Amino acid sequence: MMIHNQNGEAIISCENVSKRYGAFVALRNVSLDVARGEVVCIVGPSGGGKSTFLRTINGLESIDGGTICFDGITIPGPPRNVRLIRREVGMVFQAFNLFPHMTIRKNLILAPVRARGISYAEANEKAERLLRRVGIGDQIDKYPDQLSGGQQQRVAIARALAMEPKVMLFDEPTSALDPEMVKEVLEVVRELAASGMTMIIVTHEIGFAREISSRMVFMMDGSVVVDERPEEFFSGAPEPRLKSFLSKVL
Amino acid sequence: MISFDVSEVIRSLPELWIGLEFTLILVFTSLGLGTLIGLLACLGRLLGNGLLPWFCAAYTTIFRGIPEVVLMFWIYYCGPLLGGVRPSSLIAALVAMSLYVGALLSEVFRGGILAVPKGQVEAARSLGVPEFWVWTSVILPQAFRVVIPALIGVAALTVKVSGIASTIGVTDLVYQANIIAGQSYRYFELFTAVGIFYFFILFPMSMLAKVYERKLAMRSR
Amino acid sequence: MEASSATGPREPSMAVHLSQEKPGVWQNLRALLDVPSVVLTIAIATALYYFIDWSQIRVLDFGIVLKYWRPLTIAAGTTLLITLGAFAVGLLLGVGLAILLELRIGPLRYVINAYIEIWRNTPLIVQLFWIHFGLPVVTGISTTALESGSLALTLQSSAYLADIARAGIQAVPRGQWDAASALALPARTKWFEVILPQALKIMIPPLGNLAVSFLNGSALLGVLSVGELMTVSAKISDYTSRPVEIMTVTALLYLAMNLLTTYLTGRLERFTGRRP
Repeated sequence: MMIHNQNGEAIISCENVSKRYGAFVALRNVSLDVARGEVVCIVGPSGGGKSTFLRTINGLESIDGGTICFDGITIPGPPRNVRLIRREVGMVFQAFNLFPHMTIRKNLILAPVRARGISYAEANEKAERLLRRVGIGDQIDKYPDQLSGGQQQRVAIARALAMEPKVMLFDEPTSALDPEMVKEVLEVVRELAASGMTMIIVTHEIGFAREISSRMVFMMDGSVVVDERPEEFFSGAPEPRLKSFLSKVL
Repeated sequence: MISFDVSEVIRSLPELWIGLEFTLILVFTSLGLGTLIGLLACLGRLLGNGLLPWFCAAYTTIFRGIPEVVLMFWIYYCGPLLGGVRPSSLIAALVAMSLYVGALLSEVFRGGILAVPKGQVEAARSLGVPEFWVWTSVILPQAFRVVIPALIGVAALTVKVSGIASTIGVTDLVYQANIIAGQSYRYFELFTAVGIFYFFILFPMSMLAKVYERKLAMRSR
Repeated sequence: MEASSATGPREPSMAVHLSQEKPGVWQNLRALLDVPSVVLTIAIATALYYFIDWSQIRVLDFGIVLKYWRPLTIAAGTTLLITLGAFAVGLLLGVGLAILLELRIGPLRYVINAYIEIWRNTPLIVQLFWIHFGLPVVTGISTTALESGSLALTLQSSAYLADIARAGIQAVPRGQWDAASALALPARTKWFEVILPQALKIMIPPLGNLAVSFLNGSALLGVLSVGELMTVSAKISDYTSRPVEIMTVTALLYLAMNLLTTYLTGRLERFTGRRP
């Protein structure tokens, strides 16, 4: 039972996406549309398929059924489609995944130079700008392991932004952080949302999600159970499973 | 042009069998003696005081740092110095291999013992368990489990090294193959056959070690 | 060269614990463990006195070594060159094979794995004879001792290195692959700038062990009279009829080279481990 809510033209359109790992069904008939400028937050119990679904959007996970359409490019399709999508979709991981053997500067410059063919000078200038935006301008020549978790995640966000993506995906960006560092990362995410970036965020920070999202999605057992605007999501006639989940986390 | 003649190999089986016997003697004796030496060296290094650990460490370093060939030659020629009698090729090879394997094994055992999580040993001691039982019930059983893939590896290495004994005249499998091939010029068939034979012994060992490694990795999760 | 997987641990988790507080009966026994040291010294002294034929030792002429120091040193250099060469080529081949394996091209995987297993699970000496004596019979191309020896060493090293490289590549955290993919990095960049540098760093300890094995294995080339240290030593021993002196020095030379290799590997580990 899914509800498509569209506030404007959809830039991402997922139709009946399914994925199996052997006998285990990770995603069953997931459909979701995201319009430009929307901030969609996906919440739900662990193992419910949220991260898996997020990763199908930029092709990190393959799908066994259904279609995903990003700005006119579809999966399944020719291999270059995935590459094209990845250029326009940025992803921030729970584990940051910064390249440990490169400086922060290099981390940010690598993709624009190699994947988009931008000049070093331009990429460099953009990197400095982005790092200042996320509040770490002065650490640019350090190595990831010299930074705290919160700083590393902010760098990861900057790195994804360096590719000037049209959509940003966040896979539990604060789950691996010590509590005192969660706030600084959420601050960056909030600012990004306010600037109009289209975002899909998988998170456990329900309060934060409620605050910034234009739409809330509840996934469980591989399906989208609820897909509503925040007001309806939290106070409308609640679906029993959602009610049970919310009572445990709020 | 290429005539692969297996019949020569089959005809030479009796001689090859003799070679195999010697190979087996080399392998098993050196593994046995090596285990003994390795245990002594390992325990001496870990538990001893004063001169003993240094001596054991030196032994291990030296005998791992010298090629097996050189070792065999050296013992073969230096035999007369110790005892006044030139050792037979077999004895020289056995001594060399035992010392070499012993050095390898002492490192393996040491690695196994040191890999036992310190926390467990501390827990056992703070519970008041007598030192002897700390060793036999906590440390050694776990050390042993960890060490199995490496032990298999050393055994495989011993098999490979046994072939080197042929260079000082031990009539092992490689030696025999050389003799037979020299007479019939069937080098290709013979060494392919010998190679395949060794492969069918060493490959299962390598697979077994890998299986154990995977099992160990899963256990520690 | 037979590679042993027996490595001493870098960070002993029990370390000096073993020589500390030992209560009770064991403590008394431990006092006795001091005895072995004494026993050892006595044993060595006795052996030195009784078993060693000092008359022969007196006759030893280590001066002979000095006389031949040049050929010996050159031969040692040859050993290093051969080992380094086989190692370098083996590394390139090995990493290449590991990358191919990771690309998951169906049937090719089986071929590569078969190659690796065959060359890792046969004795080097058999490989040597097979290449030098066996192949010419079949292919009609005869190789010089040096070529055969180098070929055997290189092929075996490539197999071991492919195995190590494979493990190294797989040890790179999956998240790195994810990040590289999500950033739309082209394959070339992904491999050469992200994955391989990290894999190589992981591979350094086992590579160090392998280097020692190669050095030891190169000595085996002496049976083909390739011209490295072992060959030369054997010849000189024969020529001068002073095998003891020559062989002892040879052993020491190998030991020195091995210790040097181990030391350099340790430095390399520390160098790549530290970050400015």
